[in-house]
Amino acid sequence: MSENLEAARVWLGRIQALPITEPIAVMNVCGGHERSLTHLGLRAVMPANVKIIPGPGCPVCVCPEEDLADAIALALSGTVTLVAFGDMLRVPINAAKGDVNSLAAARAAGGDVRPISSPQEAVAMARENPARPVVFFAAGFETTTAPVAAMLAEGVPDNLSVLLAARLTWPAVDMLLRDKDASLDALIAPGHVATIMGAEEWRFIPERYGLPVAVAGFSAESLLAALYSVLRQKLEGKPFLDNCYPELVSAQGNARAKHWLAEVMQVGPANWRGIGIIPDSGFTLRGEWQRYDARARHTVLAAPRKRAGEMPPGCDCASVVLGKLGPDQCRLYGNACTPQHPVGPCMVSDEGACHIWWQAGMRAA
Amino acid sequence: MCLGIPMQIMAIDRFNAECEARGVQRTVSLFMIEDSEVAVGDYVMVHVGYALRKITQEEARSSWELFDEMLAAVPE
Repeated sequence: MSENLEAARVWLGRIQALPITEPIAVMNVCGGHERSLTHLGLRAVMPANVKIIPGPGCPVCVCPEEDLADAIALALSGTVTLVAFGDMLRVPINAAKGDVNSLAAARAAGGDVRPISSPQEAVAMARENPARPVVFFAAGFETTTAPVAAMLAEGVPDNLSVLLAARLTWPAVDMLLRDKDASLDALIAPGHVATIMGAEEWRFIPERYGLPVAVAGFSAESLLAALYSVLRQKLEGKPFLDNCYPELVSAQGNARAKHWLAEVMQVGPANWRGIGIIPDSGFTLRGEWQRYDARARHTVLAAPRKRAGEMPPGCDCASVVLGKLGPDQCRLYGNACTPQHPVGPCMVSDEGACHIWWQAGMRAA
Repeated sequence: MCLGIPMQIMAIDRFNAECEARGVQRTVSLFMIEDSEVAVGDYVMVHVGYALRKITQEEARSSWELFDEMLAAVPE
């Protein structure tokens, strides 16, 4: 087999040789990590006392209902083309029976909704038809938001605007750790978020909370190296910031990407679906870039929602996102909620823990 | 959504590069990469059509191994 797998075996051997006598809970905060961990079967080969918990690593899952409702209302208005990353289209919101409850349903009802896989597709679409307003509904973490900032900085046609639902990753982790009941012992930090923002962004974990952290890539080798690092840090009682993805991640990250982010956007308090407002956790357009804000440009937005921000009834997605419940502990998992008929966003998105666990064949506990 | 895919640069036109991976070609923006950082033949980690960073051929290869393992594991 590959050198990669050989190296992974070496790290696994080191992990299995660690004298772990107490339970250790390690949280990952990246849907990509959760996918790799689950599909590579790494949980099954961990020592019995080590628990790996999926945390807030799914931007689609925490996208506020009110933002989705605005996007749906815009799509149904018939006056704009609404583009979004494909993941967003099937995310359901609470709606009266028979009402349009997702962008996919809005499209079925005649709304001009189109999935895209790159901001550049939104630009191309706007250029092709300058008379038609195009609204780019952009949810995502830093890795996705920096390209949106770069898109605006490079220059977009006047008929393109952005409905931004972009979030920063670390403030959710900070909020989790501030909770005295948080029973987390170590963290694995997201590799491609850190490629943009830099490993240093995660230094607050050892410094403020005295917990181990390691930035990881997505291969078995990198993830096992990071798991070994944080487990060993924990056992030795010497937490620090480790970087197990140095091929891509530098201390300060991608300077140019950060420059565009700072130029085009500002950071402020933001709502996370099912979780509430987290300080300094959301991006909005700043200064002259506000002229591209879809909210400023289009008045056809959704009416204020009575239960704004909630998950669907019975759905434990918020607890799953916060690592308080495993996907298979939700009452709906695999019963009312499957990838074919998702109730909550965690079962829709490729980065949602419920979707990932179900696809890997994990069934209700 | 935060998972990048490694691609090789086949041609560069200002801020845009024609990139290729596994026979699939795509236009990739170099707008988040320093001007002198990449050249034709180099590999980059690409996310939503934007190069995040130059990577080595080795890193590109091991990332693709991971994707192959995951694609093999996921039922259609």
